[in-house]
Amino acid sequence: MSKVKLDEINRNIYDIKNKDEYDYKIKKGLTPEIIEEISKQKDDPVWMREFRLKALEVYNSLELPTWGPDLSELDMNEIATYVKPKTSLNTSWEDVPEDIKDTFDKLGIPEAEKESLAGVGAQYDSEVVYHSMKKELIKQGVIYTDMESALKKYPDLVKKHFMKCVPVNDHKFVALHGAVWSGGSFVYVPKGVKVDIPLQSYFRLNSPESGQFEHTLIIVDEGASLHFIEGCSAPKYNKVNLHAGCVELYVKDNAYLRYSTIENWSKNMLNLNTKKAIVGKNAKMEWVSGSFGSKISMLYPMSILNGEGSKTEFTGISFAGAGQNLDNGFKVIHNAKNTSSIVNAKSISKNGGKCTYRSLVRIGENASGSKSSVSCESLMLDDISISDTIPVNDIRTDDVEFSHEAKIGKISDKAIFYLMSRGLSKEDALGMIVRGFAYPISKELPVEYAVEMNNLINLELDSF
Amino acid sequence: MKLNETPVRTSRNFNINNIKLENIEIPQQIESFENVEKIGENTITQDIMGCDLAYGLSDELIKQQEEHANQKLKITIDSKENKEIQIIFNFDSKNIQLVEHIEIEAQEETKSTVIIKYKSQQEIKAYHNGIIKLHAKKKANINVILINLMNQNSNNFISIENKLEEEAKVTYTIVDFGGKNSITNYYSNLKGTSSNNILNTIYLGSKNQIIDLNYIAELQGEKTNIDIEVQGALKDTAKKHFKGTIDFKKGCKKATGNENENCMLLSDTAKSIALPMLLCSEEEVEGNHATSAGRVGEKELFYIMSRGFNKKEAMKLMVKAKFNKILENIENQQLKNEIEQEIDKRLD
Amino acid sequence: MSNKLLEIKDLYVNAEDKEILKGINLEINKGEIHVIMGPNGSGKTTTANAILNNPSYIKEKGSITFEEEDITNLNTDEIARKGIFMSFQLPEEIPGVSVANFLKYAKNKITNKPVKIFEFKKELEKYMKELNIDPSYMERSLNVGFSGGEKKKNEILQMLVLNPKLAILDETDSGLDVDAIKTVSKGIEMFKNKQNAVLIITHNTKILHSLKVDYVHILVNGKIVKTGKEDLATYIEQNGYEEYK
Repeated sequence: MSKVKLDEINRNIYDIKNKDEYDYKIKKGLTPEIIEEISKQKDDPVWMREFRLKALEVYNSLELPTWGPDLSELDMNEIATYVKPKTSLNTSWEDVPEDIKDTFDKLGIPEAEKESLAGVGAQYDSEVVYHSMKKELIKQGVIYTDMESALKKYPDLVKKHFMKCVPVNDHKFVALHGAVWSGGSFVYVPKGVKVDIPLQSYFRLNSPESGQFEHTLIIVDEGASLHFIEGCSAPKYNKVNLHAGCVELYVKDNAYLRYSTIENWSKNMLNLNTKKAIVGKNAKMEWVSGSFGSKISMLYPMSILNGEGSKTEFTGISFAGAGQNLDNGFKVIHNAKNTSSIVNAKSISKNGGKCTYRSLVRIGENASGSKSSVSCESLMLDDISISDTIPVNDIRTDDVEFSHEAKIGKISDKAIFYLMSRGLSKEDALGMIVRGFAYPISKELPVEYAVEMNNLINLELDSF
Repeated sequence: MKLNETPVRTSRNFNINNIKLENIEIPQQIESFENVEKIGENTITQDIMGCDLAYGLSDELIKQQEEHANQKLKITIDSKENKEIQIIFNFDSKNIQLVEHIEIEAQEETKSTVIIKYKSQQEIKAYHNGIIKLHAKKKANINVILINLMNQNSNNFISIENKLEEEAKVTYTIVDFGGKNSITNYYSNLKGTSSNNILNTIYLGSKNQIIDLNYIAELQGEKTNIDIEVQGALKDTAKKHFKGTIDFKKGCKKATGNENENCMLLSDTAKSIALPMLLCSEEEVEGNHATSAGRVGEKELFYIMSRGFNKKEAMKLMVKAKFNKILENIENQQLKNEIEQEIDKRLD
Repeated sequence: MSNKLLEIKDLYVNAEDKEILKGINLEINKGEIHVIMGPNGSGKTTTANAILNNPSYIKEKGSITFEEEDITNLNTDEIARKGIFMSFQLPEEIPGVSVANFLKYAKNKITNKPVKIFEFKKELEKYMKELNIDPSYMERSLNVGFSGGEKKKNEILQMLVLNPKLAILDETDSGLDVDAIKTVSKGIEMFKNKQNAVLIITHNTKILHSLKVDYVHILVNGKIVKTGKEDLATYIEQNGYEEYK
């Protein structure tokens, strides 16, 4: 018998550490004074300053979750919640300071912008350093900008939607986010406008012992459509970094939104992110999610199907290696008639990593005629790893079609023998099977990311 | 009162980590309970080890067992001839509270069937708190049939704990029909190599019944197997929580586990919550679970009605059809008839 | 150059701690079609798996040579690259890997040459047409959701594309209807030439009617108890294996 070993993801590109240079870094910790200071630095309107202080109170009143990964190593007194990079917002890469631009170059962002994106936002630590969108979209009335600019330029639109989808008392880290949020993207797609090339925001956390708390707010108005891509990474440091972003998505009647995420944080990151979508009548919300990085991840995107006939799909994969505890999943609330949800979740555990699929499907009393189908598959690549599946299925009315399936296991020796009998080496056979396992997810990813993901699945065999 | 905790917690907002029951009094004084029929009595004695449980429903209920048990039975199986043992607890106006402790020890290479039945004879408000502890030794093959036919005014609490040695085979058939609240904790420790546990449950909820099932199987030995099959139907405002955990512990190489739970919703106010967990710390295993919920299939219903059955009859037929696969495991025909009559009665 | 392709000498094989093959001898030359027949459990599938060195089958004794090279203990993929192909009785399902991509990759491994995509596609299309396989199957996941017959035809397709020197067909005909058996036979005829050989493992004789068979071996209880020509198959068809048990 022999054991499979997967290469650790080649992190050379992600691990480029720039000097911890900044214009302003707030002192570590979390007090009303610190919040006031962040608010001052950001030149918030009054309502936002008050909002932050209120959120801090909520944060202090809430407990850590009593379930899931152990978060005791997180000490907010050791985290700087605001790091302002040494540049302001730019609309041309030429104006971005050399070392920061260099980082994004190596991550391939300006390249992708030229080739396959309709707009790009790039955040470095706490602030967005670059934002740009194709002129045609501007003409059509599409707004794509950083949150701070949106707050100033479109105050009513922001105020009406900001933390209404994800209320501040949802859980402790949402409250934290409400208090210290900074950066992120704002998108508005007007009625009937179809944005057929994706927009992408990329979040880079460079500063050690700090947190990133970007806020993404997307409104896809009636009959409009959008594909939004979110990428994130950070170099590895010895002490924990924290990411507690918040994503609020409003998908209005008959609208369509696809939200793709490739999360490749470094292995010292605690990724406690919150994402939620409110979906209108006959609208459709699609989530595509690849989770590779982080030390601990707790991430459960949620669709609230409020409109009759609304639909949601979740397609996700988690890939946990040594020292990683990825507690990911999906939540859906069927809150209107004839709604539907489809979930396809996969995970791979290796080298002692732990993957948990945690979920909720709730079909409410008022959701007759609804359908939900959930499928989870977990692959164990060795006997030191862990894979758990913890799905809650809460069905509150009878006229529904609900099914849930889950499988856990290893790659069968028979399948390996079959492929080897066609001339593939054992490594090739394993690689092919694992890539095939991940294919339903990778085929939904933007091409560059699909290629990257396949590269991640490079198998190395170690026999004795 | 809070009980039946899952072995692993999930978000509190999901309301399933445990069950909270309102307006329930745990009686402080326990009266005697005498209306017990025992068939095959020669193997039943009174010497009981203790009620330490790995899980159990709650500390409070276990403490009550320790202090106030009014029935203690030890069943020792030493025959290979599959002799049937029956214990029937009849609740009536003189026997209202039962706090019983049953210990079953199946000796090596024995074969047996143990039927335990709880039945309300009158419309009284009864209370039941039971423990069943089973130890299946090497190559023992034991069939346990557990039937709850209590009325809907009563409260039914039961904690089951099994230990399986090498190549032991333990089959449970649980018929869970009675109780305003029927709360079951089932824990199996499959420590013996190639031990095998099959757990089949049918439940039926009507009016405002609450059924809470917390099934936990720990696969510890190599080549162990657990199969959990749960079929149920809910009408009126009945509510069910099913928590099924298959836990592949380190070292259980080549173990397999399957869990299948299906809930037929017979009214738009019935509620079904399921949490089918797979926990895995071992590589060479195979685990599957599937849950589903929904109405009885309309096509099937139409087909049956086209043969002259009215809707209620057709529904009953469909429910019985689903249950039949599990009832087939019961060889005692008289008992089977009784269960079928109960299904008819309770679905009316 | 010798005409000899495969030679099995005094082979003993265990599977799941049971002795299955108890001293098999077999010689196959270029240009020949051999058939191994035998009742269920006689060791037919074990023979095929032993040749490909499936790690679940343990060789206790004996040797296998291919083109005068000892392949007894080579890894399965090395044996495949020497030019031995096995059509599986129960082909594995590999989700997420399309038939076309898989074959392209395997062809590249077997020939150790880059595969020209355009030519490869044309070749694949041609074979699929001959075997009555719907062209859409090219993009489907390997064997996933295929019917029994489709899986077997897919095995023959792989044989044609990979073009081995020796093709072992393990129960390729079992469970197939008359038309599918015809298609499989057609595939074998397309494959067969003077330079290669075929070893057919079967427990019935239908597939043999349309093929010119050179040798028939009767395998009972882990031993070849009789070897004959085509008429031996006919004899078995009428009389069964009883007298050899």
